[in-house]
Amino acid sequence: MHEASLAMSLINSVLEVAEREKAKRVLEIKMRIGKLSGVVVDSFIFAFNAMKEEASKKLRNTKLLVEEVPVKYRCKNCNCEFEAETVYLPECPSCGSVELELLSGEEMEVVSVELEV
Amino acid sequence: MCDTCGCGNPTVVRETKTVEVKKSLLEENERIANSNKRHFEKSGTIAINLISSPGSGKTTLLEKTIDALKDFVDIGVLEGDIETERDAERIRKKGVPAIQLTTGGACHLEASLVHKGIHALEHANGGKLPRLLFIENVGNLVCPASFYLGETVRVVLVSVPEGDDKPAKYPKAFKTSQVFLITKIDLLPYFDFDVEKVKKEALSINPALKVFEVSAKTGEGLEDWLDYLRSLVAS
Repeated sequence: MHEASLAMSLINSVLEVAEREKAKRVLEIKMRIGKLSGVVVDSFIFAFNAMKEEASKKLRNTKLLVEEVPVKYRCKNCNCEFEAETVYLPECPSCGSVELELLSGEEMEVVSVELEV
Repeated sequence: MCDTCGCGNPTVVRETKTVEVKKSLLEENERIANSNKRHFEKSGTIAINLISSPGSGKTTLLEKTIDALKDFVDIGVLEGDIETERDAERIRKKGVPAIQLTTGGACHLEASLVHKGIHALEHANGGKLPRLLFIENVGNLVCPASFYLGETVRVVLVSVPEGDDKPAKYPKAFKTSQVFLITKIDLLPYFDFDVEKVKKEALSINPALKVFEVSAKTGEGLEDWLDYLRSLVAS
């Protein structure tokens, strides 16, 4: 359950932004979490909701929206881009090369927060 | 309409603002980990982060490794556990400094706790960090994989009794490690553990993994692991 530590980091970063912007409340948080990030999104949201109100009243009704980011590679041989379902080294579907560059899937980022100011 | 009480007063407008953040949740951990890394480089320390399930034999392997190498190189250990000083006490009996890091419930070490450990270890070791530092992570094959500590090398261990499906089930630990140790190989005759299959699956996740097969009990294969450590220290 490292999701709880990560949810705590989220709460701290968001409160920092709210403080800086002198916000009354945080209405919504948008996040991107990659399928290779090692985070179970449901556990993460559960942990966030369990801790948010105790952390600050400004978070009482905050909605957390998570966009799950697919695992995408670019083939270094033929330059095509494709999505993969697994971390096992996939092959390029058009030329079979295993020389691939990971384009997305490891994200764990806060994109934006909507505040009531 | 007023959002607070629903009174319908059109003059009360809620003022909102969207702020772009674009910040990784691991950013703070990475920042501290990079400062640990600089600390290791400055003191010429090779730091090895050991990751495995509970009971895969991390501490026993460390005891044997310390016995074999302590006359050759200055060694220190940071022991991560949820509770108790037990592992640090086992290591201290081997005559090397050990600091227990208790997470108090968290299932992994984070860079900030390791940072504190580094300073405590320096204090216990006459003001300097040892040349070879082992960081024994909390027994858990999932969460520690997501937290960089500033280590030079990450080692993942799987023991024979755990089964040969571990790389397939816990790919991230294998993807982020440089070394894979298969431990307790003296038990191979008693378990359906396919060494070739486990190696093949681990290498399909991370083709650059160095793999060693060892038994801390019989000493089989230990010499290759020790040679690897000697070469790290000599470089």
